[in-house]
Parts: sequence; C-alpha cells; structure tokens
Amino acid sequence: MKEIEVALIGNPNVGKSLIFNNLTGGRAHVGNWPGKTVEKKEGRCIHKGVTMRIIDLPGVYSLTAASIDELIARSYIVEERPDVVVDIVDASNLERNLYLTLQLLELEANLVIALNKSDIAEGLGYEIDVKGLSELLGVPVVPTIATVKVGMEELKDAIVEASKRGVKAKVRYREDIEELIERIGDILKRDENLTKKYPARWLAIKIIEGDGEVMRLIEERGLIEELREVIG
Amino acid sequence: MRMPLGLAPENRVVRVVEVRGGRGLIRRLSELGFLKGEWVRVLKSGPSGPALVEVKGSRIALGRGVLMRIIVECVPP
Ligand SMILES: Nc1nc2c(ncn2[C@@H]2O[C@H](COP(=O)(O)OP(=O)(O)OP(=O)(O)O)[C@@H](O)[C@H]2O)c(=O)[nH]1
Ligand SMILES: [Mg+2]
Repeated sequence: MKEIEVALIGNPNVGKSLIFNNLTGGRAHVGNWPGKTVEKKEGRCIHKGVTMRIIDLPGVYSLTAASIDELIARSYIVEERPDVVVDIVDASNLERNLYLTLQLLELEANLVIALNKSDIAEGLGYEIDVKGLSELLGVPVVPTIATVKVGMEELKDAIVEASKRGVKAKVRYREDIEELIERIGDILKRDENLTKKYPARWLAIKIIEGDGEVMRLIEERGLIEELREVIG
Repeated sequence: MRMPLGLAPENRVVRVVEVRGGRGLIRRLSELGFLKGEWVRVLKSGPSGPALVEVKGSRIALGRGVLMRIIVECVPP
C-alpha cells in the first residue's frame, strides 16, 4: 500500500492538535525533534487505500528561523520534503495567517489549506470566497471546524489528491525582482548538490532578503563571492 | 501622546508609530504584526519583565527591551 508523509503546520492556536487528533484518531507517537526539546508528534491515518504518516509541526507565525520552533518547521519542510503540507489557517484571522501561507508557497511546499475555525469566522459575519482564495493562491482550500469534525473527510480527500498531483503553485514577484531571482538562481545551480537539497528559487529569495541561515549556507558552499557581483 | 509600548497602560488600544531598531528587529516585529499604523493593546504588563500584547488577533509575549523599542501613540480616553 502507498504511504505518504503529511506535515501539519500553522500559526499558534489555530487548531493543529485538534485536526491532528481528528485525522489520527488520537493515536500518536510522541518524541522530540533531534537534539531539541520541542515535542514531535507523529500519527497515522488510512484513507482510500493510502496510508498517511502525519507529523504535527510546532505553531509558528513565520519561517524566518528566528526561533527554535521556526527552525524546526522550516528545516523539516525544506529538507524532508513531505509529500503534502497542510497549512491550517484561522479563518477568523486571515490577514495574519496568510503570511505563513506565502512563506510556504515560496518554499514550494505541496500545500493544502485547511480553513479552520470557519464557525467563528461565520459568527463574525465574514463571508470568505473559498473558491476565489483557492484560485488566487493556486492551492486547494478546505473549510473545516475541527471542534465538531466538520470538513475532515474533504481534507483527507484533498491531501490524497494533492499527493498525486505534486506542486503547482508559485509566488511571482515584480519583474525586476524576478530577474534578480533568476540571475541568482543561475549561479546557485552550478552547485548541483545544493540545489538538489534546496529549491534554487527559494534560496534566491532568501538571499535577496539577507536571511541569516541561508547566507551562512551560501558562505559554506563558497558561493558568496560570485553572488556579490549580483547582489552587491 | 507618544511613549514606548513598555510604558503604555494595560487594556488601552494604542497605535504603533515606529519601531526603533535595526533591520532584523524591524523585520521580526513586523512578522509578529507590529507594523507602523497597527492598533495593539497591552493585556498584562508590569514595571519589569515581559508583557502580554494583543496584536492582529493574537496574544504575544514581548521582553522588556523590545517593548521599549516599539513607540506607540496613546490617544487620551
Ligand atoms: N470554534 C472553534 N474552535 C476551535 C476550532 N479548532 C480549534 N478550536 C479551539 O482553538 C483552541 C486551540 O486548538 P488547538 O488544537 O490546541 O490548536 P493548536 O494549533 O494545536 O495550538 P498550539 O499547539 O498551541 O499552537 C482550542 O481551544 C480549540 O478548542 C474550530 O474549528 N472552531
Ligand atoms: Mg497544538
């Protein structure tokens, strides 16, 4: 039987643990991330002949790697490349939550969005254009209410479908930035081992941002001199 | 009246006017929601130690040093 790896991620308090329990039936293997004291929860879910290994990532607002939790979440997604990443978004607080979504799209994760706490959003009078959001971001969006298990079957369906389809969404920036991304990407691609491990486009974006972790990596690989000519 | 967030009274909605810090701090705080023009509210604070602040629908704990670098406008009630 086919087995896929599915990571759950989202801002703190969006309902990750509840969704994890709903998907896995509460049966979890609890451990620590290697070398860290942050809890790692792993469980299983079988749906339509597909076994999903589900991993609960720490709640984070961003993936800048400014805290241990962010570093764990980011390294996991970049280095382990799970088949599907479920981005759990608080429907009652979209503006804040979509920031992480954009960072996940930059990472070229194979995303499915769970629009959780839909009941709270509705109570506040929000009418979210789910289809529009899905088209805009280029990823499936499934409304859920984790407290009463609404949307869980649809979420599992979307995960299985996404695992078959692979990544298709990408964030595009202004033309001059896109040009810069391409020029940096060309330099990075000379280091095959590096771009086998990390998406070249993502590295390029992080280099433009001056991301500490990525700059250190670039320095280690001895690419900094060549890049200086492009980024100054 | 302008003051650092660390001196703002509890439960008053105030507005961020400036973050005094380097690129890294400004970026980090903006990711947490502390952007210029944003309304925020101190929920629990004291003369020292961290404070709990509500921003963009989340509650976030900030250390004293950072609290003094976020300048807010406090409108009299
Ligand atoms: N009304 C409503 N409440 C929800 C829903 N999903 C989660 N909650 C509530 O939101 C709170 C947080 O849920 P958790 O599952 O602990 O969220 P989490 O993302 O694991 O939180 P952290 O691990 O602390 O980051 C709990 O009080 C839940 O009962 C939902 O769809 N609707
Ligand atoms: Mg949790």
